[in-house]
Amino acid sequence: MTLTTDPRSTDGPAGRSTDGPAAGPGGKADRPSTRPTLDAGERSRLERAFRIPRARFLIGLPIAALLLIWSFNGAEFNFIKLGDGAVNMGEFLSRLFPPDFSKIGTILALLLETFQMAVVGTVLGAVLSLLAAFGASSNIAPKWVYYPTRWVMNIIRSVPDLVFALMFVSAVGLGPFAGILAMALGSIGSIGKIFAEAMEQVDRGPVVAMEAVGASKRQVIQYGILPQSAPLLTSYTLLLFEGNVRGATILGLVGAGGIGLELTTAMRMYDYGHLSAIIICIIVLVTAIDQGSALIRRRIT
Amino acid sequence: MTSASVSSRSARSTSKEVLVVERGAERRDETSAPGRTPTAEVRQALPLVSVRDLSVAYDATTVLDGVDLDLFPGEMVALLGASGSGKSTLMRSLTGFAPISAGSVRVAGHDVTNLARGELRTLRSDVGQVFQQFNLIPRLSVMTNVLTGALHGAGAINLVGGFSTAHRRRALELLDRVGIAHKATAPARSLSGGQQQRVAIARALMQQPKVILADEPVASLDPKLADSVLELLREIATEDGIPVLVSLHVLPLALAHSDRIIGLRHGRMLVAGATSQLDAAALAPLYDDEEHDDDAHH
Repeated sequence: MTLTTDPRSTDGPAGRSTDGPAAGPGGKADRPSTRPTLDAGERSRLERAFRIPRARFLIGLPIAALLLIWSFNGAEFNFIKLGDGAVNMGEFLSRLFPPDFSKIGTILALLLETFQMAVVGTVLGAVLSLLAAFGASSNIAPKWVYYPTRWVMNIIRSVPDLVFALMFVSAVGLGPFAGILAMALGSIGSIGKIFAEAMEQVDRGPVVAMEAVGASKRQVIQYGILPQSAPLLTSYTLLLFEGNVRGATILGLVGAGGIGLELTTAMRMYDYGHLSAIIICIIVLVTAIDQGSALIRRRIT
Repeated sequence: MTSASVSSRSARSTSKEVLVVERGAERRDETSAPGRTPTAEVRQALPLVSVRDLSVAYDATTVLDGVDLDLFPGEMVALLGASGSGKSTLMRSLTGFAPISAGSVRVAGHDVTNLARGELRTLRSDVGQVFQQFNLIPRLSVMTNVLTGALHGAGAINLVGGFSTAHRRRALELLDRVGIAHKATAPARSLSGGQQQRVAIARALMQQPKVILADEPVASLDPKLADSVLELLREIATEDGIPVLVSLHVLPLALAHSDRIIGLRHGRMLVAGATSQLDAAALAPLYDDEEHDDDAHH
């Protein structure tokens, strides 16, 4: 493009065909040394194919736009309503100030419980996910294990964690234990699949080498696959932990332990000072954990 | 270092007693004699690898067709041939990685075409393998990589990732032998290509192999390193009496570093003979077809 001095040549099909004498049939004579094998028709067809390099993108754009507009309507998205509501929102936010830290003891205790739930839920979830991932890795599991495992994972993933929480609350009663079980089960659907993909992406060489020394299946996984995927597995586990800390606040809504219950109670009681104190504490905890795990992830990968 | 390799060898010959009895007492004397050089008397020993009329086919494509091969203790045999001639497949068929459609393959006392249940892993542990891309586990230490050679028969301690004291001592001795002991704790990926291949050779030796197969072991190395790696393999063949089958695609390397040369073309054996009686001209037919193919394109 930068070579063309004639502005017409960048304009469109007509301009393009004058791309220079080299493109025409006469061009062959100009460069005898390269022995061109393309005939003129094929050549211009190939050149045309690259005329608009992002043709697919340009066709896709209106389709995406239509999808978006259609979804806006379905979701009753309305800018006017949003503008009108901004006043109410400002009022709601203003009620959150000043935060009331008088019950900071309760908040910290519940936050600690949330944190502990996340720790246990993550460890349990990561272990279960790893086991499930062995079954969902095409380079480890035979097909008759692979497909059912993937299938079950998809089912688990499509069920919201809140449903699991309700299920476990009715099974083991109100409290953090139900929340932990919900988190652990939910993990299999979310990171189980990512774990499996991390293990499928390992370099095949060490796996072959381990098979060649006569290692057992367990040893092939232990030496050929896990060391290679370890950085990714750790990274995903930390991401899961971050998610679980945030998720644990929501699980409290259905009585599955953590700070969520206190949060909803404060909302229902219009205890806005307390509510904002809770939110500030959650923000501090989540930010600290995100930063911490980001630091660890940077060091291992 | 020498005492280490001798003691490891005597350990091997006792542990493989069963095989020796099975194959005849005569061979035990031949193989356990230290410092043996590949001479005519070695040939009188029974071969450790014996392939007869081997054919391998993937689906409808015949890759190997009626190949015979014997490997005797202490010799280094170069396998030559153009790309697609069947070198890798021949190597793979020795350790049960290729579908054998006809013929017999005996490796270190195992009937590869008729393995007993669970025998495949024993067969593979008896055959040390060296690869073009080294195939070390990049993030694990050099030492651990060597130790993985002992995975077959590592025992219960390996359930928690451990290795016995004897294995650890042996791994260090082998690292010393290949000249990488000072890097024992470094991650494998931090080593240069030549060093990595030496570690891979130490891993193969860790298996206490009866045969070593090296599939293009120097194709990723520069010429100087290639020479030193092949020199090391030949030293192992001569000193430990372990036959080494090495596939190469550079003629001068094969002529300089082997006792015998076997040449494949289109899955058939075209050349077989002592290296001393072969030269580049005698090996040229191995690559003839490739040039005809090239001509056809023009």
